[in-house]
Amino acid sequence: MKRSKLAVLMSLLLMAMMILAACGGGDDTPTDGDASTGDDAAMTEDDGAMTEDDGAATEDDGAATEDDGAMSGDKQVITVASGAVGAELELAQNAAAMFEEMHPDVEIRLLDSPDLADDRLGLYLQYFETQSSEVDVYQIDTIWPGDLAEHLIDLGPALEEYGETYNISRDDFFPAMVENNTVDGALVALPWFTDAGLLYYRTDLMEKYGYDAPPATWDELTEMAQTIQDGEREEGNQDFSGYVWQGNAYEGLTCDALEWIASFGGGTIVSPEGVITINNDNAVAALETAAGWVGTISPDGVVGMAEEDARSIWQAGNAAFMRNWPYAYSLGNADDSAVAGLFDVSPLPAGPGGSPAAALGGWQLAVSKYSQNPDLASEVAVFLAGPEVQKMRAIDGSLNPTIEALYEDADVLEANPFFGSLFDVFANAVARPSTATAPNYAETSRIFFTNVHEVLTGDTDAQTAVENIELDLEDLTGFEVGQP
Amino acid sequence: MSTQNPAADVSPKPVAAPPSKKGGMSDLAKAEERLAYLLLLPTLVILFLIAIYPLGSVFYYSTTDRRFASSQATEFVGLDNYQQLLNMTVRELPRQLDEAGQPAVDPDTGEALYARPNEVLITDDGPRYRDVTTFNLLGKRYVLGATDRDFIDATLATIIFTVLSVVLETVLGLGVAMVVNSNFAGRGPLRVLMLLPWAIPTAVSSRMWEFMFDPTRRGFFNVVSQKLGLTDGQVSWLTERAFQLPAMIAIDVWKTTPFMALLLLAGLQLIPSDIYEAADVDGASKFRQFWQLTLPLLRPTMAVALIFRTLDAVRVFDLFQIVLAEKRYSMASFAYYELIKNQKMGYASAASVIIFLLIFIFAVVYMRALGVSDEQ
Amino acid sequence: MNNNILGKIVFYLLVVVVVIYLIFPFYWMLNTSFKSEAQLQMTPATFVPRDPGGTGAIDFTLKNYQAVFQNDTFLRGLLNSLIVAGVTTFIALVVGSFAAFALGKLRFRGKTPSLYLILAMTMFPQVAVLTGLYAVINALRIPAIPAMILSYMIFTLPFTVWVLTSFFRGLPMEIMQSAQVDGATPFQTFRMILLPLTMPALVTTGLLAFIAAWNEYLFALTFTSVEPQSRTVPVAIALFTGQVARQEPFGEIMAASVVVTIPLLILVLIFQNKIIAGLTAGAVKG
Repeated sequence: MKRSKLAVLMSLLLMAMMILAACGGGDDTPTDGDASTGDDAAMTEDDGAMTEDDGAATEDDGAATEDDGAMSGDKQVITVASGAVGAELELAQNAAAMFEEMHPDVEIRLLDSPDLADDRLGLYLQYFETQSSEVDVYQIDTIWPGDLAEHLIDLGPALEEYGETYNISRDDFFPAMVENNTVDGALVALPWFTDAGLLYYRTDLMEKYGYDAPPATWDELTEMAQTIQDGEREEGNQDFSGYVWQGNAYEGLTCDALEWIASFGGGTIVSPEGVITINNDNAVAALETAAGWVGTISPDGVVGMAEEDARSIWQAGNAAFMRNWPYAYSLGNADDSAVAGLFDVSPLPAGPGGSPAAALGGWQLAVSKYSQNPDLASEVAVFLAGPEVQKMRAIDGSLNPTIEALYEDADVLEANPFFGSLFDVFANAVARPSTATAPNYAETSRIFFTNVHEVLTGDTDAQTAVENIELDLEDLTGFEVGQP
Repeated sequence: MSTQNPAADVSPKPVAAPPSKKGGMSDLAKAEERLAYLLLLPTLVILFLIAIYPLGSVFYYSTTDRRFASSQATEFVGLDNYQQLLNMTVRELPRQLDEAGQPAVDPDTGEALYARPNEVLITDDGPRYRDVTTFNLLGKRYVLGATDRDFIDATLATIIFTVLSVVLETVLGLGVAMVVNSNFAGRGPLRVLMLLPWAIPTAVSSRMWEFMFDPTRRGFFNVVSQKLGLTDGQVSWLTERAFQLPAMIAIDVWKTTPFMALLLLAGLQLIPSDIYEAADVDGASKFRQFWQLTLPLLRPTMAVALIFRTLDAVRVFDLFQIVLAEKRYSMASFAYYELIKNQKMGYASAASVIIFLLIFIFAVVYMRALGVSDEQ
Repeated sequence: MNNNILGKIVFYLLVVVVVIYLIFPFYWMLNTSFKSEAQLQMTPATFVPRDPGGTGAIDFTLKNYQAVFQNDTFLRGLLNSLIVAGVTTFIALVVGSFAAFALGKLRFRGKTPSLYLILAMTMFPQVAVLTGLYAVINALRIPAIPAMILSYMIFTLPFTVWVLTSFFRGLPMEIMQSAQVDGATPFQTFRMILLPLTMPALVTTGLLAFIAAWNEYLFALTFTSVEPQSRTVPVAIALFTGQVARQEPFGEIMAASVVVTIPLLILVLIFQNKIIAGLTAGAVKG
């Protein structure tokens, strides 16, 4: 009897809630926070009771409303959501100051957001969900343009309009990056700084074991890594590994595995035209090769490693080769690094009959559709992505430019001698299939890395894995199946 | 703050009430009821004000195909989301046949060979099931298939996690509370130290544990297990499926035993000590005192502690999100993944409603089992 | 007799094991917070910070703590967290104890449904509530700090109500009756008798609610995102970064979390007598 009472109560409550929500959100949806700024004012008044409740907070309230609006005094405020990283943030502040000097009537406000990509994406989506005008310019990851495109304005026209002023045009960027950021013909984001997978190798050990050049193929790498590992372990360093990379089940594995497969000529999982190409012999061979490293030239624990794990082994002097992003270069040369001055970078090796491939990473600048000042925001984005700012960031922060010409710039090369060898890497970088599979990229990537991880741990064989990936992707995207 | 106002409203009233005392019981009862409603009001107002719209919209969206942060039109889909999440099937796996048409066995181990799960799960008609797990029952082998393998796996993981960690936390917490409550010599410092794990934000302590489980000998567990000669110091603990849940449980028990201990300690404090004195006089052993006095008297506190621990355990998010990320989901981290990375808001809402219902079931079961729901 | 000694040994052994389990991870955190990056990369990991050069000498670095104390966001975060968690706890305790008094000691219709209704408010995962909550807060233009305080009510208020209800209910009814006979109104009974009697419960509940609010991350991250000056400690720590992207300043994060526990330890020290100095038998008899 009691139970039934309870059930009735619960269902009543449920219904009440649903009705309320349906009324509140039904016709007008809760998402138009901004279209109804007028209403908002009315709401705040309605809410008098609440503000009174919050006695202690009313002061804050006033303060917040002041810098809330898009105008602060006579100045137009453009808010840029950028990275929180120390050097990056500082450089962004310098760039903002440069712009403000040119445009005294503009104020650029920088908002740092968490370095964890998932947290940042979550935050951005909250803004877009409420169509918030708080942020005008967003710093977005390489894999987001497809998903976020509907909230971003086409920067193509702005690039035409302001390109001359800031000395930049579409053709100055690496073509792969422009293609990655183009959704249905619209350039929704400007490449800002980039990232790609590199092979780090120990020059001292190469010399010690009689090798004169870094490995050009994966077979060479396997052979060299094995020799060096055997030698170093014999000399007593039991923690030494031949090759370390990112084998944990996460987005990083998608990058690593994409590099193996692409360098074997096995395609890019899903082609830019939207064909599922993963099920082919080259991809199987690539995965089998990589699985063969686990427990031989790479430690067993590599299947749990991310970038920082690999770097810590490397930087302690316990690896001959490492696959990592360019960030490890400057850290590896830091004072307390065991490998300072003892290493160099090269493009990743190629598979039989293929050519080297590096997964494309990095960050882009995009302008929100909900900005109250899209025109000015676009100008800021074009300025930030222009050669002047990129050059400064390359010199002072070792951030990799997205403008091809900067890799031949004398000042940039003087500050970062290794940039010269990166040009080929970026020019041949392979983008993850995020734009083609949008809005299903996250799931695509998860299907891919989960299955690849099972191959690495020996839970399944490479052939079954690519078949499973193909089946799941067919289910998910409805794309055709084909060969790369 | 607002809370002061109801208080101010309330106190004069009862003061005025006594004169009506002669009005008899019913008047008094009425006054009592009025006072009760008045006292409840601020809580209900605050909760309704903040929670009604968010909670209501979760229920509402769970019946739609709404996408998060998207202008795509939202359609009512009824219970489709729930069906997709919960649709399961159990099918028997036939034995593999060898060339002679006889049931095949593995030539090496002699174990029976069965068909691959996909062979029985994927059919031309009907929904497409993926295998969650296989199991043996009465000499036959079955496969559990689900349309959303990840959600079913997350649900099973969450339930196992909840049951084991709550049981362990209760036992340990009770132990710690009894020790701190006794005349044990070191109880002073212990009382402060026992709170440490609970005082560190989960967002940080999870990262610390993740570091202790590092796949190299930088990690504490690899160092120790290698020193003991158990492993080669290269174990990737957190990608080992068999190890994931035990690790999560160990972290959660570490983290929340203090919560349990503190709450139970407060419960113990409220038990009048003369009850024990009487028992001592009767010559009851400490053990009997524990079973027959302490536990029953602690029951209401225990029920509340259990409910709130279970609530948190079923909703567990930070811990899974930080330590296991996309390797394995809890129900809440599954909902987060569907909402943020796949932007499937309707689907994520339906998953959240299922979490809500699961917690509700747990709560009702506790209340009945511990007999505290029937007041007075 | 023998049995007794053996029992004692087992008891102390168990206590030691449990204490190690509870304390050791904190020690590891402390250990890590005194290590430089090179020391963190040492294999095998050392139980005290040692010189990475291979001499094995003990070698502490205070760099992580210096970085933490130079981080304005973090210091500001400590203050913000204190305000947010403090106000949250205060409201939850005051409002919650009113409701708990009604639910625990007064007779009225609809008691059980009210209890469940209050509990139901907190049964959703935070992730699910976040979006709707953000929409409400955004529409009402509530600034970050009150927004956090309000939203933390979702999990602190039902907790305080339920816990206090169970404690109030546990008190003998005679206390109420004898007070009423003395001419006290129910509310006076509540304030003058019930509250003092349940002090340890109140303090404990407050402490637990305080820590829950202090540790909250997801709501805080979202609500303070456009108001960086209101960030709380967990958000500030999440925003710790290395010199370059992808580098995780692990030592600093650990140092920060050690620092974060200090205010809480002080709080516990202040209140620890209240936690334990509960009822005497006499007090209950009134």
